[in-house]
Amino acid sequence: MSVATPSGVPPRLSPALRSFEAEFRERSVDPLTRLRDQAMQRVLRLGLPTTRDETWRYTNLKHIAAHSFVEAPLFPPGEFATTASLSLLSADARAATVLMINGHPSLPSHMDAWFDGIAIRSLRDMARLDPALIAAHLEPLSDADQARWGLVNTALFTDGLYLKITENVATPLVILHMLTGTGADNIAHPRVIIDAARGSKATIIEHFVEQGAHPPLFNSATHIHLAENAQLEHYRVFATSPLAEHIDSLTIRQQADSVCKQFTIALGGGLVRTTLEASLDQAGASHDSYSLLVGHESRHVDCVNIVTHNARDTNSTQTARAIASGTSRVVFNSKVVVNPGAVRSRSEQSCRGLLLSRNAEIDTRPQLEIHNDDVKCAHGATIGRLDPDMLFYLLSRGLDRETAQSLLVYAFLADVLQGMSVPSARAAIEGALIAQMPDSQLLNEFR
Amino acid sequence: MLKIADLCARVAGKDILKGLNLEVKAGEVHAIMGPNGSGKSTLAQVLAGREDYTVTGGTVTFAGRDLLALPAEERARAGLFLGFQYPVEIPGVNNVYLLKAALNAKRKAAGKPEVDAYDFLALIKQKMKLMQMSESFLSRGVNEGFSGGEKKRNEILQMLVLEPQLAILDETDSGLDIDALKVVSMGVNSLRDQSRAVVLVTHYQRLLEYIVPDYVHVLSGGRILKTGDRSLALELERRGYDWVAESQVA
Repeated sequence: MSVATPSGVPPRLSPALRSFEAEFRERSVDPLTRLRDQAMQRVLRLGLPTTRDETWRYTNLKHIAAHSFVEAPLFPPGEFATTASLSLLSADARAATVLMINGHPSLPSHMDAWFDGIAIRSLRDMARLDPALIAAHLEPLSDADQARWGLVNTALFTDGLYLKITENVATPLVILHMLTGTGADNIAHPRVIIDAARGSKATIIEHFVEQGAHPPLFNSATHIHLAENAQLEHYRVFATSPLAEHIDSLTIRQQADSVCKQFTIALGGGLVRTTLEASLDQAGASHDSYSLLVGHESRHVDCVNIVTHNARDTNSTQTARAIASGTSRVVFNSKVVVNPGAVRSRSEQSCRGLLLSRNAEIDTRPQLEIHNDDVKCAHGATIGRLDPDMLFYLLSRGLDRETAQSLLVYAFLADVLQGMSVPSARAAIEGALIAQMPDSQLLNEFR
Repeated sequence: MLKIADLCARVAGKDILKGLNLEVKAGEVHAIMGPNGSGKSTLAQVLAGREDYTVTGGTVTFAGRDLLALPAEERARAGLFLGFQYPVEIPGVNNVYLLKAALNAKRKAAGKPEVDAYDFLALIKQKMKLMQMSESFLSRGVNEGFSGGEKKRNEILQMLVLEPQLAILDETDSGLDIDALKVVSMGVNSLRDQSRAVVLVTHYQRLLEYIVPDYVHVLSGGRILKTGDRSLALELERRGYDWVAESQVA
């Protein structure tokens, strides 16, 4: 773990950080090297975040910092079939799937022609073709603690996806992130850039799954840019086993009248830390984030959402539903910042937690930081247990206790599910959610 | 069908039922009346199996079984139905699916196959018509946004679908206007036959004009103080409850 030091003196490097630096030094020069070097230097100067850092208070990454990492190997895509069981959306939903193995996209040739309205390229290729464009999507580099692992990603991603959405695309696109490694010391830094052109409309689903006994530590980062009037529905769905650990950073920048719906769905993973930083940079931009955080067994889920209103007449909502059973811990921290110029901004934060066992824990903290008077902001947070009146009502109608409990849990999560405008995505996520509950066969009828 | 002997129960550390005796036979309708706080609703909840109501003494047999040994869900499957005084709203749980799950739970317990989807819908529509409920109720969450009267109709609808052997209706008449009272009463009467029994818990004898009981009991201080026929309800309306307690002392 890194140690706080007086300013100017570099912190003692953790084994993880030393291994990142060694990895960085071995890399050959590429068109982004200068920017990557800046990112690496920042991380070395600031250190990896610890529980002393504001947004990491509830998530201790000591065990990660104490590890030396090597990059997860590059597997030929032929070894993985995008079978139905792995794909979030069934073939009849006619979703296209791009497979990313440890951050390396497996793209057929002529990808551009393959999918109407979305140009899909390898990030490595795109960085060669137009380094200035890619750099613009990676900057500015931030010193904020929530952005630290994103800096590591910027320094070390070897490849990724660049998506340029140019039209109204009716079909959802699934990015299937496959985690697969060869040892406990593997790490991957997948990077995705989604560039939505003016007036375009699309749905992108990032779905994280694993294969094999050694999923690498997944330090993924996605950047989304919405130009004027663009509309995007973005999902990140974590559906891995308790072996997997995710640190995911998502940054979103929105221009005038753009509309973004963002869903963060944590159904699996031993440790899932997600960060969302959205900035509404021009008038009329709106952002709705939905978080569905499921803690089972001994899982740890930490979701940090920071939405910044930088322009007038911007709207944001955050809807979070967290459930925790076993000895799991679920954390939801949301923050809305309204800057001085952002007059007539509106924001709402609604966070509800449901504790299903005595030893589970849910922590939630909605925050507001308002720098002008002409705004409407509301927030609410509640944490409780299953309502005994509701439970008794269902039992008194003859339902099994397990079914009744699962039904109430499912109903509790409905606010997030109802926000999903892609029926096939909703059905798939509901299916995955229900599969984890007792009496799933009966529950399926309730959908 | 139902035999309650010396039943004592405690709620939140307070003794509410203090040696209650009641026998209900198949084909009978019993009305339980009594002042506020006499234990009427506690009796209904205890019979339905509410866990935070502690039974401290006595026995209850239902259809030959020890009712108190069964969890709430098994009591329901064995044919006991509680119509709630304040039906809870459960947003996100669809009304029609609850009905279906409840019916299938009961059928499963009886060794019957699940209800056919088409037959089920036909059954629901028929019963809803009887209860003068709009079909839009089907797609809504359980009691979600229902008015007081709609909630009570929904309780009776559930009862009609589940066809219980014993229905305990806890102040089903409270908050109903006269038209709704007639509809609800018609629903209850449609279920009356020689194999079933109904226990009506009520404040007012008005309900008993529409659902004519075989017996009227006065519950006060956790015990049945007096039992009579329908005329007792009329007398209670005229004279209030105090005279019953006083006549007992005397």
